[in-house]
Amino acid sequence: MSEPKKVSRRQFLNYTLTGLGGFMAAGMVAPMVRFAIDPVFKPSAAGEFVSVADVEELSNEPQRFEWEIEQVDAWYESKVQKTAWVYRSENDEIVALSPVCTHLGCTVDWAASEEYPNQFFCPCHAGRYTKDGVNVPGTPPTAPLPKYETKVEEGMLYLGEAIAR
Amino acid sequence: MKWMKKDLEQFVEEKAYIDTLFIPVIPVATSSDDKVVSSGFQLELNELFSRIIEEQFKGRIVLAPSFYYMDEKVEGEKDRLNEWIDAFSRQPFNHVFLFSFDRSWRKVEGELNGELLWFPGLRNGDLQSTETQSFVKEQAKEIIEIIKDSWKS
Repeated sequence: MSEPKKVSRRQFLNYTLTGLGGFMAAGMVAPMVRFAIDPVFKPSAAGEFVSVADVEELSNEPQRFEWEIEQVDAWYESKVQKTAWVYRSENDEIVALSPVCTHLGCTVDWAASEEYPNQFFCPCHAGRYTKDGVNVPGTPPTAPLPKYETKVEEGMLYLGEAIAR
Repeated sequence: MKWMKKDLEQFVEEKAYIDTLFIPVIPVATSSDDKVVSSGFQLELNELFSRIIEEQFKGRIVLAPSFYYMDEKVEGEKDRLNEWIDAFSRQPFNHVFLFSFDRSWRKVEGELNGELLWFPGLRNGDLQSTETQSFVKEQAKEIIEIIKDSWKS
């Protein structure tokens, strides 16, 4: 039988103090980390502006950005994924379009059709929209893609409600 | 379209555009504790994929209620699944996709009244982890392409 290991007074103090020190350090650092990343990860309620992207990331080419919001109805509170196509227009305005096809609600893609590389394309029924989100006549959609409200604060792009046009 | 009142009301009006049915096919296991837990994970993973597909193709796909069965006896379930599919064909669906991670369906793939979308899922994991998320995103892209291709043909 091996003897049970004994912990010396010095070891015991060492363990305790290291543990305690680590705990205190974590206590100090955790709120700072939270503070640093909070605006990006905080899910927000519908209708509020949400930070979605760094303005630096934007270009003339529409890019897809995703974020989450909390949606509450009578029974459930659920997280809903939202998406936007965002780009800088020729007059340096930031344009953020909803990807939800106004025909029956599929998700449209930028430049997904080889024949129309400069349009949004709906894979379900070949609906098309020009870069500014206006539906191309003769294709199934009857309204332009909704446009998100935008605002820029401290280099971050915030998106609000998608407004039907 | 989800199998929910609001979506189905729209489906009934717009049938001309909505011609595809997507059925999650999900095994349930009870034989051991491990299998119970892992079957829960399979179910969540399947539903996650199905939700992504539904969101992408909302205007053309109807997401049917899931088809559940006990994992021990797939052989006998084949006919029940086919009956289930046939019942839906009273509505004008030209394309029927069956979505499952269960390998046993591959053996009877040719005898099913729908197109089987099968790929090895994950045995176990955490749906919130970035690893699982990127796996799901990649695989979902594949499925989306398969569905688009079958519409073209």
